[in-house]
This record gives sequence, structure tokens and C-alpha cells, in this order.
Amino acid sequence: MDKHPLRRWFDLKGWRALLIGVPYLWLILFFLLPFLIVVVMSVATNTPTAPPFSIGGEHPWVNLGPFSRVFTDSLYLRAFMTSVLNAALTAMLCLLIGYPMALALTRVSRGWRTILLMLVILPFWTSFLLRVYAWMGLMGKNSWFNGLLTDSWNFLVPLDWAVKSVPLMNTNFAVVLVMVYTYLPFMILPLYASLERLDPTLDEAAMDLGSRPHQVFWDVTLPQSIPGIVAGGMLVFIPAAGELVIPTLVGNASQPMIGKIIQDEFGQARDWPMASAVAVALLVLMVIPTMLYSHYQARAEGSK
Amino acid sequence: MTRRSTFLITMLCFGFAFLYIPILSMIVYSFNGSRLATVWGGFSTKWYVSLFQNQQVWDALILSLQIALISASIATILGTMAGITLARFTKFRGRTLFSGLVIAPLVMPEVITGISMLVFFILMADWVGWPGSRGFTTITLAHITFCMVFVTTIVQARMLQADRAIEEAAMDLGSRPWQVMFDVTLPVIFPAILSGWLLAFTISLDDVVISSFVTGPGNTTLPLLVWSKVKLGVTPDINALATLMVVTVGLGVLAAGIILTRAESRRLREERLAFRAND
Amino acid sequence: MSEPFLRIDRVSKHFGTFQAVQDVTLDIAKGEIFGLLGGSGCGKTTLLRMLAGFEEPTAGRIFLDGRDMAGVPPWERPVHMMFQSYALFPHMTVEKNIAYGLKHERALTRTQRADRVAEMLDLVQLTAFAGRKPHQISGGQRQRVALARALARQPKLLLLDEPLAALDKKLREHTQFELMSIQERTGVTFIVVTHDQEEAMTLSDRIAVMDRGQVMQVGTPTEIYEFPASRFVAGFIGSVNSFDATVLSRSADGLRLDVPALGGEVTARDVPAAVPGQGVTLAIRPEKLRITKDRPEGGNAVAGQVKDLAYFGKDSLYRIALPGALVQAHAVNARRGDEGARVADWDDTVWVAFDPSAAIVLVD
Repeated sequence: MDKHPLRRWFDLKGWRALLIGVPYLWLILFFLLPFLIVVVMSVATNTPTAPPFSIGGEHPWVNLGPFSRVFTDSLYLRAFMTSVLNAALTAMLCLLIGYPMALALTRVSRGWRTILLMLVILPFWTSFLLRVYAWMGLMGKNSWFNGLLTDSWNFLVPLDWAVKSVPLMNTNFAVVLVMVYTYLPFMILPLYASLERLDPTLDEAAMDLGSRPHQVFWDVTLPQSIPGIVAGGMLVFIPAAGELVIPTLVGNASQPMIGKIIQDEFGQARDWPMASAVAVALLVLMVIPTMLYSHYQARAEGSK
Repeated sequence: MTRRSTFLITMLCFGFAFLYIPILSMIVYSFNGSRLATVWGGFSTKWYVSLFQNQQVWDALILSLQIALISASIATILGTMAGITLARFTKFRGRTLFSGLVIAPLVMPEVITGISMLVFFILMADWVGWPGSRGFTTITLAHITFCMVFVTTIVQARMLQADRAIEEAAMDLGSRPWQVMFDVTLPVIFPAILSGWLLAFTISLDDVVISSFVTGPGNTTLPLLVWSKVKLGVTPDINALATLMVVTVGLGVLAAGIILTRAESRRLREERLAFRAND
Repeated sequence: MSEPFLRIDRVSKHFGTFQAVQDVTLDIAKGEIFGLLGGSGCGKTTLLRMLAGFEEPTAGRIFLDGRDMAGVPPWERPVHMMFQSYALFPHMTVEKNIAYGLKHERALTRTQRADRVAEMLDLVQLTAFAGRKPHQISGGQRQRVALARALARQPKLLLLDEPLAALDKKLREHTQFELMSIQERTGVTFIVVTHDQEEAMTLSDRIAVMDRGQVMQVGTPTEIYEFPASRFVAGFIGSVNSFDATVLSRSADGLRLDVPALGGEVTARDVPAAVPGQGVTLAIRPEKLRITKDRPEGGNAVAGQVKDLAYFGKDSLYRIALPGALVQAHAVNARRGDEGARVADWDDTVWVAFDPSAAIVLVD
């Protein structure tokens, strides 16, 4: 039996401390500390120095100017509105498209299910940037897709309304469309996970008791899949609200989302305190649904 | 049990068309002979040829692969440690903060992560003289940080499923905690660690936003190169590059999926055989 | 032997405010199969985990072979455990699983190790399956691998957590005897935790019945069954008919009791603790009640009416209404035949009789 005190300490305490300590310290140094710097910077004063801010100094020690601008300047308020509306719309559309898909996935045979699930996950592994790029190819004025849309539009509406091409690129609609496209798997997967767990005999019991298939859906399937809907909604809403790449590539420059505002304040305007204040405001905005979610989850766990 | 509904099947087809038509269209147009990226001008592979001759693309690809390889590997080590910690040690000082720190990078918008990292590196250079310049090191550090939490999530979920008695059994048979981890825990959760590494590798290889903040002059990763070109519009050589990347990843995921499915069904078959065997 | 092999001395374990184990004292001899029997949450598993070293007692001490086990981590204890889930290492073959504990035995040479593994494989008759992985063998085989793995390091004490719970009924009986014969051959002290009373009775030399963290009674299976010390033990092991009674007097035949439910006085086996005038519980096992059509001579007998009967093949269960209670009685179906062969039928008036020695007086 080994009695060396150092080895014994390592076996009983040291190993555990090492396992906890290394990733913990890493996250504190490279995530928490940078984040705290941003929080502090949001109450600093913009100065023409390098780095372009100063904090402390003379009275008042903190500068609440950037924060008051976030809530008064229409530029920021509009950007927040655009972000929230776009993200909510994206989550809603993802749900409308994703729910039937997820439900269908639970009903197909085992072999097909494996293949189709893989097809849902596949885009997730391929480059995000290139998936956005693929839509740029479709939406452009001379593309076959735009041509198809233009032709069908012109066929359906009176001659006066005819257009040369459907304006898709650089619109807010394009932003939502591409966000739905890129985030759809985030909605399908949690929905599928919660639908797959449902006991099929419950459906049969409901039908046995006289419900028609559509009533079974509203009475049995939908209420039980609410956790999946909430999880999917969160997974889509949160990244969509802070999205930067998609609005930059296919969006309307005069209708920016909040991510673009942060980047511009930081880069072009070199107003770091302002960028930080907007960032902190965005985070607070995202904390609200996250807290609602965990509250909802805790309640769901508690009622079990 | 399969209950078919025309509506559901239609939606499924529509959904998959929505997911795959843009990619397929991009692949087709990568063989477009015309200079105008969106107008068909006959079949040609010239964009692939010019792509292979483009030294800038090769340099960017190699840099990206190097960064992804290093950051995915370190992120996997750190993330696995954190995942095991969170699943096994239910009580230690600062656990609440730790579990928060592991989730926060997942929900933090990339813009904010990018800015905070950049400011951190700038201030560190000011205060302690490190990092001297931004580029390879800073991108790698940033990637490790936000990739490790993905690994943590996967490993933690797997650990919570695993039978804890297996680890206790190893300890009971004379292994010290660190031996238990190398002998039993890591081999058992190895598939989860591997998928964590693959995810980290993919995310690092794909990252634009955070890299764009923390990179320095002369350090252009492949996504940054694509980003700078794509901002100017659709060009045929990007179609070709995109096709190559999508097809490579697609085949890789497909192969991995097939291998995993095969292994799983073989295992099930063996279990059924063993169950039927008499004692 | 003055010092017991394993001494559990006033051990308690609290989890927050929950008292999992309360003040348990047990002495266990070398080479014994000792059963810990109790329902779920009675503390038996916690006690086992304290012996293995996974939990430290809140109070009290554990001595194994004279050595205080306080602060000794699991990997340094000469105690091995067979887990309820078996906890086989899924990535190792049967052989590697069994060899795993031996790698920490520095004194062994490579050949000694191989010999020990071969010996263990032989002991549990799994030599042919040495190269298989756990998922490639059946449940019963897995159980044997777990046993061999725990025995390979020749522990002083083997802890078995519900060793048969995961097996189907047919296999369980066979495995019980196999466990006993392996214990006999190896001479290792076994502590078996189980919630199944039949399993505890067949396997164990002695049994401790536990309830809510406390040991209610310790004894051989016969003692526990025939002479339960409390109402809890009488009710937990087997089924029992119990009645409120008052002690009238003490005679040479036993105690005279007044039992209103039986409509009068009966004689029961004497217990020293009972005093005349005291209220006690009278307990009688169903198989110790005799059912007859005519009044039997002497002894205790009460008339009643058959309300219900259930035919099990080898025996039948009767529910008989007595003056103030419904009792259960088992009767062996010694004669073959249809309804006519039964001792009694629905609504028949019968006599229920029992020997004074079969009637247990419980004072608590």
C-alpha cells in the first residue's frame, strides 16, 4: 500500500482539483475576463487615444452616456426592434416548417429515418458562410430561381404590376428567409427528440376513445411536444437575434440588425464604449428569454 | 408503426427541397462556363482549374487546417475535463459560476465574443506585452475557448447517461481516481469525445466572425478569404470552392454515419444472439 | 475467536437531514454468508457502500480483521463488490474484466496473473467465453463475470448488491446454489444485500432485517421466520395472521391469552417478557393453521366459515371468517382429484386449529 503523502494527496484531492481547475481557469481568463472588460468599457468615456477609451479619472467616474443613447437614439431602438422581430419571425417560420417535418420523421420506417435524420444534420456540418452564399446565388437578379419567381408573379398579376425581376437581395425579407434556412435544423432536431419520445399507444388510446387523427394531434401530440417547441424556439431565436453574417451579405444596409450596429460602432466609429453598451443591452435582452426558459424547465421538472 | 399522412409527406419533401435546392444549384453553377456566375454558359471545369492554381486559397486552407487541428485538440482536452467535472462532481466551490461559464459562450452572440476577445488581447498587449501581435496564436486561443464548451456539452450529456457503477467498480478493484479515468471513463465515452473533437474541428474551420476580430495582418483563414470575396458578390470560383468544401464534408459525414449505423446494428445483433444463448 | 472478523460499531450515515443508516451494530464472522434484508430505502445499500468505502460513516467505526477502515479509500480496501448492474467494463473482454483488479497486485508475475484469471474463468465456467465482450454474453454469464472479477483479487470480504435481481426467475434459483457453492469453495466472507426474502433465506447463514436505517433483528433464517422479534419482522418475512390479545396467565403449557377476534381464550408459546394483564400481539403463520371439518381434540380450535379459496396447485389458500377476523390458512393439496378432494369448499363451516407452539406472542 502506497503511503507517500504527496501521492496520497494527489489521489484523494489533487487529481480532482486539477480536473476542475484547468478548464475553470481557462474560461475565467479567456472568457469571463474579456467579457468583464466589455462590461466595464460600457461605462467608460470614448477618447481619441489608443485604446480609445478611459475610465475613472475625474468625477463622474462612470459615464452612462452610451446607455442613455441606447434607449433614446432611434438608430439603436430601430435596430433592436428589427433584430427581435426578425428573430421571432424566423423562429415562427422554422416552427411551421420544422414541426410537420419532425412529425413526419417519427412516422417513417426505421431505415428511412436514419437517412433522413442524417440529411437534416448534414447542412449543419457544412460551412455556414457557404450556405448563406448559396442563397445569394439563388436570389440574384439573373438567377434561374429569381427568373422562376418573376415569371410566376407576372403570370398571376395584372400587366401593370409586372416586374423585370423580383427584388430579393438586400431586403429584410432575404435576411429572414436565409435565417430560416440556416437555423431550420436547430428547430427540427429538438422537436424530433421530443416527438420521438412520445408513446404511440397514447395516440391509439385517444383514437380508441373516439378522437379523429386531427383531434389526436391537438389533444395529445401537440401538448406533449411543448418542451421541444420551446427548446427549438430558443435555439433559433438566440443566434438569430445576434446575427451578423446574414444581414451583412443579403440584408438591407438601411435597416441594420443589432449585430451590425455593434460591429460598426466598434470598427468604423471606433466608439468602443458605445459598442459595449449596445452589446450589454443585447445580452440583457437575450437573458430574459433564457431565464424564462429555465424557469419553465424548472417548473416542468418540478411538476413531474 | 408507420402512419402515413399525405400532408406530412408533402411537408417533408418540401422541407428537404428547401434545405438542398440552394446547395445543389450552387454545385451545378460551379460547372458553369460563363463569367457571369448566375447565367448558364455551358459546362466547364475551368473554375476548378483556376482554383487549384490559386496560391492564396491554398495558403488560407493550410492556415485554417492548422488552426482547426490545434484548437480542436486542445478544446477537446479542456472540454472533456470540464464535462467530466460537471457530470461527476456535484459539489465544489464555484460550481454555479463554472456551469454558467460553460453555457455562456454557446448563447453569446459571436460579435460580442469577438469584440471582447479582441479588446482583451489589445489590453493584455498593453499591460503585460503579450500577445505581441495578433494572428495565429490569438485566433487559436479564441477558437479553443468557444469550441471547448461544445465538447463539454457533448461529454457532459454522455457522462450523465453512463453507468456510474462502472467507475466505482474500477475503484473498488484497486484503481486510483486518475487510473479509473484513463482505464474506464475515457474509453467508455470515447465516441462522445471523438464527436466532440469533430464538432470543434468543424466549428473552428467554419468560423468567420470571431476570427475576423482577433486576426492580424497576413493571417487570412479560408473562411476569412471567402468572406472578403463573398461580400463583393457571387463569383464562379467561389462556387467551385464551396462545392469542393460541401462535397468533402458531406461525404465525410455520410461515411461516419454509415460506419456508426453499421456498428450499432452489429452490436444489437450480437446482443440478441447473446440473449438467446443458453447459460 | 474473541474479535469478530467484521465489526460494524454504532455506524450512522446522514445525507443532510435524511438519516439513511442509524446506529447500526453488527458482528460478522469469517466465512459467513450474511444477508442484509429490507425494503427499498431501508439503508442496506448505504451500509454496503460504507463497507466498500464509497461513503464515509457520519458516526461510528468499521473494523475489518482488526483494522479500522476510517479514511481508507475504496482502492485500498481488501473489500470487493459485485454491483447490482454488474458494472462490467463494456470495452474489455471477459478475460480483461477479470484481470483488471490484478494489475494493481505488483507482487504477481505475469504467469501468476494469467493462472489466476484462468482459475477464475474455470470457477465460473466461462473459459469458453474469455474473448467475448460483455454485450456478447447473456445476463447470467455477465453475473458470473462480475463475480469472478470481484473474487480474482481474493478479497477478505465480498459485497453482493442484489446479486440475482437482474436475472429471470428460472435462472435465479440455479444461480443461488451456484453462489453458495462458490462461497464454500473460496471461503470468502459474503455480505448479500437483497429485498427478496426468499433469496435472503436460502443464501444466508444469518440475516439482518433492516427498516428505516435500523437493524430490526439479526438471526439465522429459521430464527427470523419462526421467532420474529417484532411485528415488523413477522410481517416482512412471509405472511402472517395477527390479532390483538391480552395475557391472562402463565401455565405449564404456555401463555393463556384472551383473543377477542378468535372469540375466546387460546394457549400460546411462552415468552419471558410477557406479564399477565399486558396487551400483546398474537401472530400465526398461514401454513401453521389446520383446517378440519370436525372439531379436533385438544389444542386451540375456532369455528369459522370459508369465504374464499384460491387453488395454487401444490397448495390452496383459504380465507376463513372467524368470530372477529378474517384469517388466511394454507393447506397442502395432498390428494389428487377435482373439487371433491378439497379440504373444504365455499361457505363450508370448518374448524381452524393450531398448536400452542405455532402461536407467536409479540410484546412490542
